[in-house]
Amino acid sequence: MILLSAVALGLLAGWGWSRWRRRPYGPPELKSVWLVPAAFLPQLLAAYLPPTHQFLPSEAARAALPLSLAVFLVFVWLNRGLPGMPILMIGLVLNLLVIAANGGWMPISPATAGNLPGGSDAQQAALGSRFGQKDVLLLPEDTRLEFLSDRFLLPGWLHYATAFSLGDVFIAVGAFWLLARPRAAQNSKVE
Amino acid sequence: MKNTLSQVALVVSKIRGEHVQMFFAVLALATLVLGVGAPSDGGGATGR
Repeated sequence: MILLSAVALGLLAGWGWSRWRRRPYGPPELKSVWLVPAAFLPQLLAAYLPPTHQFLPSEAARAALPLSLAVFLVFVWLNRGLPGMPILMIGLVLNLLVIAANGGWMPISPATAGNLPGGSDAQQAALGSRFGQKDVLLLPEDTRLEFLSDRFLLPGWLHYATAFSLGDVFIAVGAFWLLARPRAAQNSKVE
Repeated sequence: MKNTLSQVALVVSKIRGEHVQMFFAVLALATLVLGVGAPSDGGGATGR
Protein backbone atom coordinates (compact mmCIF):
# COMPACT_ATOMS: atom_id res chain seq x y z
CA MET A 1 0.00 0.00 0.00
CA ILE A 2 2.81 2.44 0.84
CA LEU A 3 4.46 1.70 -2.51
CA LEU A 4 1.23 2.23 -4.44
CA SER A 5 0.85 5.51 -2.54
CA ALA A 6 4.26 6.57 -3.88
CA VAL A 7 3.07 5.80 -7.43
CA ALA A 8 -0.17 7.75 -6.89
CA LEU A 9 1.65 10.71 -5.32
CA GLY A 10 4.26 10.74 -8.10
CA LEU A 11 1.53 10.73 -10.73
CA LEU A 12 -0.28 13.55 -8.96
CA ALA A 13 2.91 15.60 -8.54
CA GLY A 14 3.96 15.10 -12.18
CA TRP A 15 0.52 15.97 -13.49
CA GLY A 16 0.26 19.01 -11.21
CA TRP A 17 3.73 20.25 -12.19
CA SER A 18 2.90 19.88 -15.88
CA ARG A 19 -0.39 21.72 -15.46
CA TRP A 20 1.35 24.53 -13.60
CA ARG A 21 3.90 24.86 -16.38
CA ARG A 22 1.16 24.47 -19.01
CA ARG A 23 2.84 21.56 -20.66
CA PRO A 24 1.40 18.14 -21.51
CA TYR A 25 2.13 15.34 -19.07
CA GLY A 26 3.51 12.17 -20.58
CA PRO A 27 4.15 8.81 -18.95
CA PRO A 28 7.70 7.41 -18.88
CA GLU A 29 8.57 5.50 -22.06
CA LEU A 30 9.28 2.04 -20.72
CA LYS A 31 11.23 -0.52 -22.75
CA SER A 32 10.44 -4.26 -22.77
CA VAL A 33 7.26 -3.84 -20.69
CA TRP A 34 6.41 -7.51 -21.30
CA LEU A 35 9.11 -8.36 -18.75
CA VAL A 36 6.93 -6.90 -15.96
CA PRO A 37 4.12 -9.49 -16.04
CA ALA A 38 6.69 -12.20 -16.78
CA ALA A 39 8.67 -11.19 -13.69
CA PHE A 40 5.58 -10.90 -11.50
CA LEU A 41 4.22 -14.35 -12.42
CA PRO A 42 6.51 -16.47 -10.14
CA GLN A 43 5.69 -14.44 -7.04
CA LEU A 44 2.02 -14.26 -7.99
CA LEU A 45 1.97 -18.06 -7.84
CA ALA A 46 4.15 -18.35 -4.73
CA ALA A 47 2.94 -15.44 -2.62
CA TYR A 48 -0.38 -13.99 -3.73
CA LEU A 49 -2.73 -16.64 -5.17
CA PRO A 50 -4.09 -18.65 -2.19
CA PRO A 51 -4.32 -22.07 -3.96
CA THR A 52 -0.76 -22.02 -5.29
CA HIS A 53 0.51 -20.18 -2.18
CA GLN A 54 -0.63 -23.14 -0.06
CA PHE A 55 0.28 -26.06 -2.30
CA LEU A 56 3.43 -25.00 -4.15
CA PRO A 57 6.38 -27.16 -3.04
CA SER A 58 8.50 -25.37 -0.45
CA GLU A 59 11.66 -25.34 -2.60
CA ALA A 60 9.81 -23.91 -5.58
CA ALA A 61 8.18 -21.24 -3.40
CA ARG A 62 11.55 -20.24 -1.91
CA ALA A 63 13.05 -19.83 -5.38
CA ALA A 64 10.10 -17.88 -6.77
CA LEU A 65 10.76 -14.51 -5.16
CA PRO A 66 14.52 -14.28 -5.96
CA LEU A 67 13.80 -15.44 -9.53
CA SER A 68 11.08 -12.83 -9.87
CA LEU A 69 13.34 -10.06 -8.55
CA ALA A 70 16.14 -11.13 -10.90
CA VAL A 71 13.83 -10.73 -13.93
CA PHE A 72 12.61 -7.38 -12.57
CA LEU A 73 16.27 -6.36 -12.28
CA VAL A 74 16.74 -7.03 -16.01
CA PHE A 75 13.73 -4.80 -16.76
CA VAL A 76 14.98 -2.02 -14.49
CA TRP A 77 18.48 -2.26 -16.00
CA LEU A 78 17.04 -1.92 -19.52
CA ASN A 79 15.21 1.22 -18.36
CA ARG A 80 18.02 2.64 -16.23
CA GLY A 81 18.15 5.81 -18.32
CA LEU A 82 14.78 6.99 -16.99
CA PRO A 83 14.78 9.45 -14.09
CA GLY A 84 14.25 7.68 -10.77
CA MET A 85 15.04 4.23 -12.17
CA PRO A 86 18.61 4.09 -10.72
CA ILE A 87 17.17 4.87 -7.25
CA LEU A 88 14.55 2.16 -7.71
CA MET A 89 17.30 -0.23 -8.85
CA ILE A 90 19.25 0.35 -5.61
CA GLY A 91 16.13 -0.59 -3.62
CA LEU A 92 15.56 -3.67 -5.74
CA VAL A 93 19.15 -4.85 -5.26
CA LEU A 94 18.98 -4.27 -1.48
CA ASN A 95 15.75 -6.30 -1.22
CA LEU A 96 17.14 -9.03 -3.48
CA LEU A 97 20.30 -9.29 -1.36
CA VAL A 98 18.47 -9.72 1.96
CA ILE A 99 15.86 -12.08 0.46
CA ALA A 100 18.49 -14.27 -1.19
CA ALA A 101 20.58 -14.30 2.01
CA ASN A 102 17.64 -15.50 4.10
CA GLY A 103 16.27 -18.44 2.15
CA GLY A 104 14.08 -16.70 -0.42
CA TRP A 105 11.76 -14.58 1.76
CA MET A 106 12.00 -11.13 3.34
CA PRO A 107 12.88 -11.55 7.03
CA ILE A 108 10.81 -9.86 9.73
CA SER A 109 11.25 -10.24 13.48
CA PRO A 110 8.37 -11.59 15.59
CA ALA A 111 8.48 -8.33 17.60
CA THR A 112 7.98 -6.20 14.48
CA ALA A 113 5.35 -8.56 13.08
CA GLY A 114 3.48 -8.33 16.39
CA ASN A 115 2.76 -4.66 15.64
CA LEU A 116 0.94 -5.49 12.40
CA PRO A 117 -2.67 -6.53 11.80
CA GLY A 118 -2.93 -10.29 12.15
CA GLY A 119 0.46 -10.38 13.81
CA SER A 120 -0.72 -10.85 17.39
CA ASP A 121 0.13 -14.56 17.22
CA ALA A 122 3.50 -13.92 15.57
CA GLN A 123 5.27 -14.05 18.95
CA GLN A 124 4.09 -17.65 19.38
CA ALA A 125 4.47 -18.71 15.73
CA ALA A 126 7.37 -20.97 14.84
CA LEU A 127 10.50 -19.21 13.69
CA GLY A 128 10.92 -19.74 9.97
CA SER A 129 7.13 -19.54 9.38
CA ARG A 130 5.86 -17.50 6.47
CA PHE A 131 4.25 -14.21 7.49
CA GLY A 132 1.97 -12.23 5.18
CA GLN A 133 2.81 -12.53 1.50
CA LYS A 134 6.60 -12.29 1.24
CA ASP A 135 7.94 -12.38 4.77
CA VAL A 136 9.43 -15.02 7.01
CA LEU A 137 9.63 -14.81 10.81
CA LEU A 138 13.24 -14.76 11.99
CA LEU A 139 14.96 -13.48 15.11
CA PRO A 140 17.19 -10.45 14.39
CA GLU A 141 20.27 -12.37 15.60
CA ASP A 142 19.49 -15.18 13.13
CA THR A 143 18.91 -12.81 10.21
CA ARG A 144 21.61 -12.17 7.65
CA LEU A 145 21.86 -8.51 6.58
CA GLU A 146 19.33 -7.69 9.30
CA PHE A 147 19.61 -3.95 8.60
CA LEU A 148 18.01 -4.61 5.18
CA SER A 149 15.03 -6.58 6.55
CA ASP A 150 11.46 -5.39 7.19
CA ARG A 151 12.45 -3.62 10.40
CA PHE A 152 10.87 -0.18 10.10
CA LEU A 153 7.31 0.74 11.08
CA LEU A 154 5.28 3.75 9.99
CA PRO A 155 4.72 6.32 12.77
CA GLY A 156 1.65 5.65 14.89
CA TRP A 157 -0.06 8.94 14.00
CA LEU A 158 -0.56 7.65 10.44
CA HIS A 159 -2.89 4.95 11.86
CA TYR A 160 -1.66 2.50 9.23
CA ALA A 161 0.53 -0.33 10.42
CA THR A 162 3.06 -1.61 7.91
CA ALA A 163 6.63 -2.86 8.15
CA PHE A 164 9.11 -1.96 5.44
CA SER A 165 12.76 -2.27 4.54
CA LEU A 166 15.46 0.19 3.53
CA GLY A 167 15.09 -1.16 -0.02
CA ASP A 168 11.39 -0.31 0.04
CA VAL A 169 12.27 3.31 0.84
CA PHE A 170 14.54 3.54 -2.24
CA ILE A 171 11.83 1.87 -4.37
CA ALA A 172 9.18 4.34 -3.18
CA VAL A 173 11.45 7.35 -3.83
CA GLY A 174 12.45 6.02 -7.26
CA ALA A 175 8.84 5.32 -8.31
CA PHE A 176 7.77 8.77 -7.11
CA TRP A 177 10.58 10.52 -8.99
CA LEU A 178 9.94 8.49 -12.14
CA LEU A 179 6.38 9.81 -12.35
CA ALA A 180 6.84 13.21 -10.73
CA ARG A 181 9.39 14.40 -13.23
CA PRO A 182 7.31 15.47 -16.23
CA ARG A 183 8.93 13.91 -19.27
CA ALA A 184 6.79 15.89 -21.70
CA ALA A 185 8.10 19.15 -20.25
CA GLN A 186 11.49 18.27 -21.74
CA ASN A 187 10.69 16.29 -24.84
CA SER A 188 7.37 17.56 -26.16
CA LYS A 189 6.48 20.83 -27.71
CA VAL A 190 4.35 23.25 -25.76
CA GLU A 191 0.62 22.92 -26.48
CA MET B 1 -30.73 2.32 -24.39
CA LYS B 2 -29.81 4.17 -27.57
CA ASN B 3 -29.00 7.22 -25.47
CA THR B 4 -26.72 5.17 -23.21
CA LEU B 5 -24.90 3.67 -26.18
CA SER B 6 -24.33 7.08 -27.70
CA GLN B 7 -22.94 8.33 -24.36
CA VAL B 8 -20.57 5.34 -24.22
CA ALA B 9 -19.51 6.03 -27.81
CA LEU B 10 -18.85 9.68 -26.89
CA VAL B 11 -16.66 8.70 -23.93
CA VAL B 12 -14.76 6.13 -26.00
CA SER B 13 -14.16 8.67 -28.77
CA LYS B 14 -12.45 10.94 -26.23
CA ILE B 15 -9.94 8.24 -25.26
CA ARG B 16 -6.73 8.97 -27.10
CA GLY B 17 -3.60 6.96 -27.66
CA GLU B 18 -1.80 8.89 -24.93
CA HIS B 19 -4.45 7.88 -22.40
CA VAL B 20 -4.02 4.20 -23.25
CA GLN B 21 -0.24 4.60 -23.11
CA MET B 22 -0.54 6.35 -19.73
CA PHE B 23 -2.81 3.60 -18.38
CA PHE B 24 -0.41 0.80 -19.32
CA ALA B 25 2.65 2.73 -18.08
CA VAL B 26 1.05 3.31 -14.67
CA LEU B 27 -0.17 -0.30 -14.54
CA ALA B 28 3.35 -1.53 -15.35
CA LEU B 29 4.89 0.73 -12.70
CA ALA B 30 2.34 -0.32 -10.07
CA THR B 31 3.12 -3.97 -10.83
CA LEU B 32 6.84 -3.19 -10.73
CA VAL B 33 6.77 -1.58 -7.27
CA LEU B 34 4.47 -4.29 -5.91
CA GLY B 35 6.84 -6.89 -7.32
CA VAL B 36 10.17 -5.48 -6.21
CA GLY B 37 9.01 -4.05 -2.87
CA ALA B 38 8.46 -6.24 0.15
CA PRO B 39 6.62 -4.25 2.80
CA SER B 40 4.39 -6.24 5.14
CA ASP B 41 0.89 -5.10 6.01
CA GLY B 42 0.40 -8.16 8.19
CA GLY B 43 -1.85 -11.09 7.46
CA GLY B 44 -0.53 -13.52 10.04
CA ALA B 45 1.77 -16.51 9.99
CA THR B 46 0.97 -19.28 7.55
CA GLY B 47 3.06 -21.95 9.19
CA ARG B 48 5.54 -22.70 6.44
